[in-house]
Amino acid sequence: MLILKFLQSLVGALNSNGTPAQVGVGMALGLCLGLTPLMSLHNVVILAVAMLTTVSFPGVMLGWVAAVPVGFALDPLFDRIGMALLTDDALTPFFTWLVNTPVVSLSRLNNTIVLGSLVAWLVAFLPAAFLFRHLVARYRVHVFARLEQLRLVRAIKTSKLYGVYEMFRT
Amino acid sequence: MRWIRWKALLPLAVVLIILVGATVLWIDPTVRRGVEADGTAAVGAKVDVAAAHVRLADGSVTLRGLAVTNPGKPMTNLFEADEIVLDVALLPALEGKVVMDTVAARGVRFGTARKSSGALPRVPGAPADEPSAVRKLVEDWVAQVRVPPLSLSTLTQTVNVDAISAESLATLRAARAARDFVDTARTRFTTGLQALDPRPTVDSAEALAARLRGASLRTLGIGGARQAVSDVRRTIRALDALNAKLMLFERNTRGDLDALGDRLEAIPAARTADYAYAKSLLRLPTFEIPAIGPQLFSGLIAEKVGEIMYWVNMAEKYVPPGLERQLRKGRSRARASGTDVLFPRARVYPDFLVRLAELSLAIGGEGAAAGEYEARFVGVTTQPAVYGAPTRFQLSRAAGKVGPRDARVSGSIDHRRAPVRDSLTARFSGIPLPTMPLAGLGAAVALGDGTSELHLAREGDGLSGRWLWRSANVSWTRDTAGQPRAATPTLRLVEDALWRAVSRIDSVEIEAIFSGSVTRPQLAVRTNIAEAVADALRVQLGEEVQRAEQQVRARVDELVAAKVAEVRAEAEKIKTLVEERLAEERAKLDAQKAALEARLRELVKLPGIG
Repeated sequence: MLILKFLQSLVGALNSNGTPAQVGVGMALGLCLGLTPLMSLHNVVILAVAMLTTVSFPGVMLGWVAAVPVGFALDPLFDRIGMALLTDDALTPFFTWLVNTPVVSLSRLNNTIVLGSLVAWLVAFLPAAFLFRHLVARYRVHVFARLEQLRLVRAIKTSKLYGVYEMFRT
Repeated sequence: MRWIRWKALLPLAVVLIILVGATVLWIDPTVRRGVEADGTAAVGAKVDVAAAHVRLADGSVTLRGLAVTNPGKPMTNLFEADEIVLDVALLPALEGKVVMDTVAARGVRFGTARKSSGALPRVPGAPADEPSAVRKLVEDWVAQVRVPPLSLSTLTQTVNVDAISAESLATLRAARAARDFVDTARTRFTTGLQALDPRPTVDSAEALAARLRGASLRTLGIGGARQAVSDVRRTIRALDALNAKLMLFERNTRGDLDALGDRLEAIPAARTADYAYAKSLLRLPTFEIPAIGPQLFSGLIAEKVGEIMYWVNMAEKYVPPGLERQLRKGRSRARASGTDVLFPRARVYPDFLVRLAELSLAIGGEGAAAGEYEARFVGVTTQPAVYGAPTRFQLSRAAGKVGPRDARVSGSIDHRRAPVRDSLTARFSGIPLPTMPLAGLGAAVALGDGTSELHLAREGDGLSGRWLWRSANVSWTRDTAGQPRAATPTLRLVEDALWRAVSRIDSVEIEAIFSGSVTRPQLAVRTNIAEAVADALRVQLGEEVQRAEQQVRARVDELVAAKVAEVRAEAEKIKTLVEERLAEERAKLDAQKAALEARLRELVKLPGIG
């Protein structure tokens, strides 16, 4: 049931729930959960932001799910980015402060993968948010509207199975 | 549009509480896995923990059933501990650091058997027979210090002096270097003399002296006489300048001749080295006592010291000196581990610190090690420069009915700054010493109960140490299975004589002395067994070896004699040339100067000129 609910929320996010901007920013936030190692302190902050702001939470989940395989695939790149930053002499005082400061040091930003993936996400955040907003808007106008007209979709909507789906949706 | 969802505060708080609750609930297995993973990485073999219990309220961690595999023997534990209680400081934990104020261990046992292998799984794609990390390091160490065992078999073979290659002889290299220098010195002398060009100045002086010969005031006139004096003085000054240049040139040339002399003197030394090298090709048995010790024991001792060097190497890897940035492999997780970059800073908490560990170790059973021990570790840390003090440790025997009468181990690891300084001193008396095979002799000596003393010091790459085994109650066994008897009657006689010589010894002292550097170690072995072996060899094989040595020396002489003679002849030629030419030029210069000075004295006596 939970999985069904989850899928419903994802479909709902794409189709109608929330504005394209809310979904886009939510998906861009969700990228962080997928691109960076999940068990990181900064992801608690991302989760809090996702819950406390009116961004689309299903959008966050969608971004997360989509970004997980990308995160695994890009680990070698994140490693290189992180290593370049962590071994930059100009940044040494900052990182020395960071790893020797209570609580902040638990962020494990001195790990090449954590830092590299977080920086990559930060750089990608705004472009990704705008891109997702644009794609969701176009999806709703062009794809979703046409899908609704398809005979198959109409047939599904009149089926008993869809009735069950609707029951769990409410 | 509103951007804040205030009604989500409560669910967020619930989520955070769930996260914290899950962390607390899972902290025990997390700590257990963390100790296993970090310990395994540090030791290079499996570290198992049966259970871990964290008490956040008082900051204590209890580990039960800790088993640390011996990386050199995967079916044996380095040590096991029934229970270890760690008093962990909470404030540093908020920085992700592990600082333990005290550590107490109970039920520690050493060298216990494992039910399953504690070797680390092979790296995918690595060959099946690839040795472990500890084995690789030990083998590297052994390869560097091992000396081939004593071999008697060469004496039954015809001495094949053709194996001595001329190209490999240092004498020929030294002779060629001297010959090249002869050419260089000759070229320098010739071009130097040409550049000096004394002839125009000397000829000019000669012409002036000839012009003024028999001149008087009447023939020169007052003006001509004054001009003549001026010309003579100018020419004498030119001759003086030329003389100064000639002296400098002569000094440089004599420097070249001295350098040539040095090269010629190096030839006999090279020949002595060639005799030794050629002799080593034949692997003739030596009668020199310092050489026999390593032949008998270097392999075995190198193995033992190599295992210690593994831990020295690990200390260097995990306890780097100074406050430089440090790179470590990140923790294992589903995602790539990456690299943790550490940024040590003085006067903060180091990443890992045990301020004080006082351990009461009880080793059970009837074995030699059985008894009670006390161990004390102070300042165990991975960042000594941050902690600011060296790690010190001490272990002593508190009580025991059997086993060593005295056991003391102490040492320090000072990696605060480069060069690192490590030291280890261990003394055990009344312990069963190992049985040591005598390489090449087909015999083994069981040292029985005795004393073992180890001193090891390292400063930077420099290494010095001494390991002494002493026993007054040894027993000898002849190992005809491990090393079959010699094939010839002559050699069997030699073997028997050696056996008789060593088996009479009832008190043995073996001292291994290591020096050099960690990367290029040297090992010397001094033992009274070597004296007995040397004496027996000298009696049995003296004449044979002497004859073989003479053949070797004759072959070396034959290979180098012509070239050396040629070099010496060329060197004599250049010396003679230099002496003759320098003497000739100096004579000419002195003669012209003397003639001009005589003319000058005559001219200045003229009235109105002086």
